[in-house]
Amino acid sequence: MGSGKFTALNGIDLLFGEGEFAGIIGPSGSGKTTLLNIIGTLDSPSEGKAVILGQSVGNLSPGASAALRKSQLGFIFQTYNLFQVYSVFENVEFPLLLQGIETSKRRKMVLDALEWVGLTEKIGSRPAQLSGGESQRVAIARAMVKRPAIVLADEPTANLDAANSHHILQTMEKLNRELHTTFLFATHDEKVIGYVRRKVFLLDGKVAKDEIIEKN
Amino acid sequence: MLAFKLALRNLLGAGLRTWLNVIVLSFSFVVIIWTKGILEGWDRQARADMVKWEIAAGHYWHQDYDPYDPLTLTDSHGPVPDDLITNINSYSIVPVLITQGTLYPMGRMLPVIIRGIEPRQKLLALPTMKLKESEGDVPAIIGSAMAENTKLREGDYVTLRWRDKNGTFDATEIRIAGIFETNVPTVDVGQIWLPIEKLREMMLLPEEATILITGTDFSNAPVLDHWIYKNQNSLLSDIEKIIKSKGAVGIIMWGILLMMAMLAVFDTQVLSIFRRQKEIGTYVALGMTRGQVVILFTIEGAMHSVLAAIVGAVYGIPLLTMQAIKGISIPLSSSDFGIAMAEKLYPVYSLGLITGTVLIVLMVTTIVSYWPSRKIAKLNPTEALRGRIQ
Repeated sequence: MGSGKFTALNGIDLLFGEGEFAGIIGPSGSGKTTLLNIIGTLDSPSEGKAVILGQSVGNLSPGASAALRKSQLGFIFQTYNLFQVYSVFENVEFPLLLQGIETSKRRKMVLDALEWVGLTEKIGSRPAQLSGGESQRVAIARAMVKRPAIVLADEPTANLDAANSHHILQTMEKLNRELHTTFLFATHDEKVIGYVRRKVFLLDGKVAKDEIIEKN
Repeated sequence: MLAFKLALRNLLGAGLRTWLNVIVLSFSFVVIIWTKGILEGWDRQARADMVKWEIAAGHYWHQDYDPYDPLTLTDSHGPVPDDLITNINSYSIVPVLITQGTLYPMGRMLPVIIRGIEPRQKLLALPTMKLKESEGDVPAIIGSAMAENTKLREGDYVTLRWRDKNGTFDATEIRIAGIFETNVPTVDVGQIWLPIEKLREMMLLPEEATILITGTDFSNAPVLDHWIYKNQNSLLSDIEKIIKSKGAVGIIMWGILLMMAMLAVFDTQVLSIFRRQKEIGTYVALGMTRGQVVILFTIEGAMHSVLAAIVGAVYGIPLLTMQAIKGISIPLSSSDFGIAMAEKLYPVYSLGLITGTVLIVLMVTTIVSYWPSRKIAKLNPTEALRGRIQ
């Protein structure tokens, strides 16, 4: 039996710039989700420093980190994490409600976001009525609707078939190019790895390789 | 405001789960108000009937009189105070002479309390005009419960035995001149009413009385020797104690119903927090603080009672209004209950009762909603996002 302490990340030194489309790649337990959570201010490093959009994660109060997430960070989860009792529209609208955006502007922003992901016809559906691919597209719309600076996607294709995976990756790539939003993926899915322009390989909590791919 | 909007959206979105809780809670609202309304109505009706049939504005009691000890009746009488003669002559004070006796209906022997009262009095609702003596007999009036018990009917003659002031037994035939319907058992069960002058004659106690019933409050009148004044509130205190003791059953029922409703909400909250961990994690990831999520869940739980109040009002208002107008038939006779109780009870639903109940339920619901929700503040959002039970 150990002391109960586990070091998920060790000696990480990374810098992500605006508009990156990067993958944090590694096997299970390599620390990629922990890194994503720290970037997303859901967790903080026990040692060292993580600076997100100029703000040190460790020094943020709960209210300040919530404010940062509310305005600047978007999340996409492996299991979509849609609110089951809300319609597609309400799910996408949620981050805007938190920001207190007025109704007419909110409605336009939601419709725009749903148009980006091609789901305007599913506006009134509940998540239970959607396929996996559609659910993940709603999750992308929810993450993108507030035009965040960074979108953090944790294994976004893990529950999708190949066709749907490519569809949503193309959608995110398009949004990245058009809106210059930074996308960071935690993944070990080859399909995702095929799309990213920067690959950060993690192994046992350390950066094993940091590779930038030149794409046309 | 946002928390209210989201809570309502969550509740309505949850569909059947919400409505089942709301319906259970609405039953509690309606039944709590209903039971309290019955007690309130009973209390008011009992007070009104007691005042109408027995108490009037108040009583002077002879200093030795104890209504709970019949053995005191032999000595608890005295001459009517001179100070009150004018009032007595104008019938604004009615003297009553009380003694024990034995009635012999159908060959049975029945101990009774004999009460002599002025036939022309109007302070009490008793039909004492029927006590105006006709030549050669002794008229008496009794209540319907007494009539049923003795199988006596109007016009019947029955033997009454008593002891006069010297302890000598005497007996006579009395005529049942009238039978009255009342909800007040203390003027009915075991009671027989005679003209006071006749009873004074029978008892050899001219100008004496046991109690003096007053038409106005004499609380501030000078103290009279040998007589103690009891105002209306003091005379009603016993019945209030009885109703309160009977109301204890209502309070237990009230508590059980409230607890049932609270358990439904508490249970839902506890289940919600365990089942909706991913949702909680997502709220935090999307920019809510854990405190805001605690508030959201608390409002969600408390809003059950708001919806329940609305649902309860939809069917409760017509139902309770109808009962308040038409009354509720009581299967027991008043004598079975021992205190004034009409065949029909008219519940009273005051604004205070309704708002008080709604506020109490809302307050308790908020507390039981907040109690399990506090756990959210300790949840690790990264674990919650994965739906791991913490």
